[in-house]
Amino acid sequence: MDFFELTTDPLDVGEVARRVVPQECGATVTLDGYVRQFTKGRETLHLIYEAYEPMAVKEMQKIIEQAKSQFEIEHVGIMHRLGKLEIGETSVVISVAAPHRKAAFEACEWLIRKLKRTVPIWKKEVYANGEEWIEGDTSPPSLPISGS
Amino acid sequence: MKVRVLFFGATADLVGNRELTLTCADTGTADDILHLILKDFPQLQDQKLLLSINQEYAYGFESVREGDEMAIFTAVSGG
Repeated sequence: MDFFELTTDPLDVGEVARRVVPQECGATVTLDGYVRQFTKGRETLHLIYEAYEPMAVKEMQKIIEQAKSQFEIEHVGIMHRLGKLEIGETSVVISVAAPHRKAAFEACEWLIRKLKRTVPIWKKEVYANGEEWIEGDTSPPSLPISGS
Repeated sequence: MKVRVLFFGATADLVGNRELTLTCADTGTADDILHLILKDFPQLQDQKLLLSINQEYAYGFESVREGDEMAIFTAVSGG
């Protein structure tokens, strides 16, 4: 069973991994993404995530469908937390179950890269002396930048 | 026509609002709406902005209709 959810509750990594496993699979690869304390030497106190929730859910569903058409995998679960997160708390979990591990590793890496580019979720880093919304490195593929 | 315009993260902070309803000409594209917004909120002009219409990414040339939901935001940074 695939799933894609947003929550403000703490994430249980093991529970996400267990939910995706079907009988035909031999490996589940799970990414546990959590809040980093130091980025390029600067200390983060906490993070705040917000999402355009209905669009984020749609985009998560799309990347799961794309991953399943590109890789030999069976099921994907993605959960992303929103709200205020302390250092070390899990912000995102992606679990990919596959008959063989290689496809699961590749699909998991592909999914997190895609999620960071296309799923409308934003994080604000709060530092001791200020805060800023982080802007992603890239925009969705083939989408020209509007404005100006 | 009336169009709902949503802002998130950096654009919500810059506009000082998460949502507004724009009344504009009955025919127009996402770019037309964006330019109206930029006139009212010039502080958005320096941002690289992305658009969506009805929760799908938009290029700007798409027609916007009465009751549509448009969102204006900066490059996403989840994960």
